[in-house]
Amino acid sequence: MSRPLGATIAVLVPLILASLMTGAASIHVLDALSDPWTMLVLMESRLPRTLAVLLTGAALSVAGLLLQALVRNRFVGPDTVGTAESAALGLLVITLMAPASPIWVKICVASLSAMAGTALFVALIRRLPPKEIMLVPITGIVLSGVVGSVVVYIAWQEDLMQYITTWLMVGEFSGVVAGRYEMLWFAGAAAGLAWFAADRFVILSLGEEVATGLGLGTKGVMRFGLAVVAVVSAMVVTTVGMIPFVGLVVPNIVSRVMGDNLRRSLPMVAAAGAALLLSCDLLGRLLRYPFEIPVGTVMGFIGSIIFLYLLYRRPARV
Amino acid sequence: MCRFSTVLFALAALGGTAAAAQDVTIETARGEVVVPAAPETVVAYDLAAIDTLTALGVDLAGVPDRLYLSAFDSLDVTPVGTLFEPDLEALAGIGPDLIIVGGRSAAQLDSVAQVGAAIDMTIGVDLIADGKARIDAYGTVFEKQDEAAKLQSDLDERLAALKTAAEGKGTALIVLTNGTKMAAYGPGSRFGWLHESTGMAPAIPDLSTQENHGNVLTHEAIAEANPDWLFVLDRGAAVGEDGQSAEQTLNSPLIEQTEAWKNDQIVYLPAAELYIGGGGYQSLMTVIDAMTEALGA
Repeated sequence: MSRPLGATIAVLVPLILASLMTGAASIHVLDALSDPWTMLVLMESRLPRTLAVLLTGAALSVAGLLLQALVRNRFVGPDTVGTAESAALGLLVITLMAPASPIWVKICVASLSAMAGTALFVALIRRLPPKEIMLVPITGIVLSGVVGSVVVYIAWQEDLMQYITTWLMVGEFSGVVAGRYEMLWFAGAAAGLAWFAADRFVILSLGEEVATGLGLGTKGVMRFGLAVVAVVSAMVVTTVGMIPFVGLVVPNIVSRVMGDNLRRSLPMVAAAGAALLLSCDLLGRLLRYPFEIPVGTVMGFIGSIIFLYLLYRRPARV
Repeated sequence: MCRFSTVLFALAALGGTAAAAQDVTIETARGEVVVPAAPETVVAYDLAAIDTLTALGVDLAGVPDRLYLSAFDSLDVTPVGTLFEPDLEALAGIGPDLIIVGGRSAAQLDSVAQVGAAIDMTIGVDLIADGKARIDAYGTVFEKQDEAAKLQSDLDERLAALKTAAEGKGTALIVLTNGTKMAAYGPGSRFGWLHESTGMAPAIPDLSTQENHGNVLTHEAIAEANPDWLFVLDRGAAVGEDGQSAEQTLNSPLIEQTEAWKNDQIVYLPAAELYIGGGGYQSLMTVIDAMTEALGA
């Protein structure tokens, strides 16, 4: 185990314990075995919530890392290129057309829509001049703005504005109890799959010509990457709503410390993403205790500070 | 010449008094306003206003295109835009003598005032008092003081019945659900009148009144507060959405531990009447009756 990963896990463990101990119910976690009420709170609320945050943070960060490798640009994340907005669009359309459809149908539609949106982004940036690296994130922001405004337009017409606020703006975990977050395991699993293809993504990130020259079927890897990014975004948007910045800043911080060897840095990205999101969620739970501030709000605030820091202190390695 | 100007002056004074007799001063959300009495063509952009005016027997010439409340399904009136975007051309086509905005449409006062006399009849946090003040004002404007007095005494009667029914029933928590999310409202908030008119203490004492969309709440927090009664408002149902209902959202092993759940004391309030029509006479009556019935059993 590399040293940075060890350090991150050393931070993650107390965070997880703190998360299990933080909540509106006044219980002592240590009494769980003797007191059924404590056990109930722990199993129904604290543990699911902690797991949901960990899975979301890890999966979003890995999705961000893959996306950055796919488009060979560090300044993008699933929430800045229209993936999350496209997922929200799919979700909105299926909610309007077939409100009673089961959750997995909604997630499938959201995933497909997220994939289409991300593919559109990839197709768009291929037409950009390769040297202008800042055009890539700008195109992403424009695209996500356009897709987002379509969502808002439909929601406005249908009186669903507040319903979509969490999908589009402030994701939060306050509604998470056992039975309401399990879809996130699939997001975690999808992100986990990326580990097996990690080397291919590294080669792909060298550029299409080099990758083809090295004997890599770029289309397949590309599609696989897009699928992972889309599925992760769709699951997260559907279950807890949009969470900004995680997929953008975490891969950047990790690559500064560990370089671009994806197979080595993937576990680290996942752990760091989980740790960052869990700290934000803990803050959101504590600032107005016993009420909550959405994690999306906290993350937006902290994430933008980290992002500005990254922009102003470009590492020597990039 | 001198006599002529005296006559003129007298005529002007006469005209002035005649005009003054047709104007009435009423209390609106933005202070006292002078409006023409007994306006014939009236457009209302506020659900509570439409509600109370219909109860008073006032015919409306224009309303927003979507009214949410089932009580107005049979209302056949020209649509004049939405609560948030008035259709000024359609409005001008009607040529209203009086335009009423309020609540969600209050911000449109200046824009609709270009077309005709307009008043803001927003009902604030002090819902019952404001609601009654509006009934009073409409009674004055439309010269239906007797009807207005009747509505008010009916309302007082039902409120008294609610208070009796709620006596000694323990604590209550007002929860608004929106999809899977929940938020709580305390005294002094937009649904705070439910506490005031029942006299039931809030199960969570220190709820902020600043948040228009409530204090974000977890299942744990509701279990910890352990309310005797849960009053639930399903926002989705209020605007006619399908999808996850409040009942599904609340159904968790944690909330099953509360007194409210164990004693079957979870009351799903008439959502549209409370959320959209808040403060209108018929909506108030519907909500109060629903509460009285639930509590009185």
